Amino acid sequence: MEWFLDPFALGFQQRALAGGILAGLMTAVVGTWLVLRGMSFFGDAFVHGIVPGVAAAVVFDVNPLIGAAAAALVMVLAIELVNRQTVLSEDTSIGLLFVGMLALGVVIISRLDSYSGSLTTILFGDALGVTAQDLVTQAILALVVVSAATLLYRPLLALSFNQEKAQLWGLKPQRTHVTLLVLIAAAVIGSYQSVGTLLVFGLLVGPPATAALISRTVPRMMFTAAIIAVVSVWAGLTLSYHFNTAGSATMAIVPVVLFFIVLTITKLRSRQREKVESRV
Amino acid sequence: MSDIVSAQGVVITRGSRVAISASDFTIPAGKITAIIGPNGSGKSTILHAVAGLLPISSGSLSVLNNTPLLSQSQVSYVLQYTTVPAGTPLTVMEAVAMARYPKLGLFGRPSKEEKKRVLAAMARLEISDLAKRHLTELSGGQRQRVYVAQGIAQDHTILLLDEPLTGLDINSAKTIDSIIHDEPVRGCSVVLTTHDLEEARAADHVILTAGRVVGSGKPSDVLTTENLTNAYGLGSLHEHTATDLILPTEHHLNDHPH
Repeated sequence: MEWFLDPFALGFQQRALAGGILAGLMTAVVGTWLVLRGMSFFGDAFVHGIVPGVAAAVVFDVNPLIGAAAAALVMVLAIELVNRQTVLSEDTSIGLLFVGMLALGVVIISRLDSYSGSLTTILFGDALGVTAQDLVTQAILALVVVSAATLLYRPLLALSFNQEKAQLWGLKPQRTHVTLLVLIAAAVIGSYQSVGTLLVFGLLVGPPATAALISRTVPRMMFTAAIIAVVSVWAGLTLSYHFNTAGSATMAIVPVVLFFIVLTITKLRSRQREKVESRV
Repeated sequence: MSDIVSAQGVVITRGSRVAISASDFTIPAGKITAIIGPNGSGKSTILHAVAGLLPISSGSLSVLNNTPLLSQSQVSYVLQYTTVPAGTPLTVMEAVAMARYPKLGLFGRPSKEEKKRVLAAMARLEISDLAKRHLTELSGGQRQRVYVAQGIAQDHTILLLDEPLTGLDINSAKTIDSIIHDEPVRGCSVVLTTHDLEEARAADHVILTAGRVVGSGKPSDVLTTENLTNAYGLGSLHEHTATDLILPTEHHLNDHPH
């Protein structure tokens, strides 16, 4: 029992767990729609896209959340601009902004004396450095993100099904798409302090992708993803304590490992079922 | 015979390309109208404009005596391509029930009547036994039946079908064909696009397209050898009668249809 309780005996460890769980919940719910809409690459680019905003906030000593929000806005507007002004496919514009924003972030942070330390914190997070104030901000963002992603179930499902059908049903797909982008931004901004901008993507895509393998409906997928995210955070922090590994990275790697375990089990089971059916 | 759709001098563009140049056509109420023409001739473009998905560039287009956008709630459109991403956990029942979203709004709970509408639509398309199956587990024909069930489960007075019978197995084609003929009996108007000349001849009304509307009216008046030659530009028409003619289909030509 001690093996499970020791990692969370101290206040900063409990805050790390609470911060991770809040991050896991909001990224799992919003990540479900991201995965269903086939926007994983966008999600990956997006989490890198906020790096210059956070870096500039560190350099100019302003709230990193404001910097991250500004960078997220620039990222989305620039992708839209490239999409509208050129015939290039969307993944090209996303790729351009992905590299551009990440590089800009590194350039900005390289002007600091504590260059490598600051960069590491932004990219990989500082799960054990989460403060009580951070938790309040995270809780508010998590409430907004989870509520909005749940309340907008019908427009989001229609949009995932077919954009033209969503428009015909009067569900305003353009507005829904923009709302989804805002929710993704809020989830990423609310999570990066716990798991970092690079590793938040693991929680954004890992739990929903794993849930998709075993869920028959979207609400069940969302619920399963949330459970997987919470388990990943708890398991990640426990393992990092016992094996002395980086907390954020261990949290991010668990859902990816879980995905491959679940994939293997589902494949083995379907093969077994096929064998039984072929005998009948 | 009153018209549900009336177009005068209508021009419809897709991006910078004129898909339908200045054309007049009508669609009668309570009848089956077939839109026929070669690939890229503007068949789907007309359906998109009638459904309010594509604005017209000039001329006038009225649907149910209103603008297409204002009539959108009375139009149900079964698209030619509905690609649901693989892995989407969406059952047949849920997909058909989505057609009730316009009525239910964001938070409305489906009443018994609503559920009956969904079940009835599934029964008409003979997919009740597939209710709990995922869309990704269905064959092309079964999936097309789901999309048509979704189309008729929605409140509508006009049903638009973009190539509803193309590439289907016999059972699916027969079931969907029965819906096409049943809808006018229920007071709805059906507009479909096709590459099949016989299907067009069997309709009550025909619109022949070739980047413009070549003709709009009774099949016998529109599907003449002269009009078909104009639309398809086939020299071989001189050697055949229009009745013998086999038109190029989606299977023969692998172009993107419009």
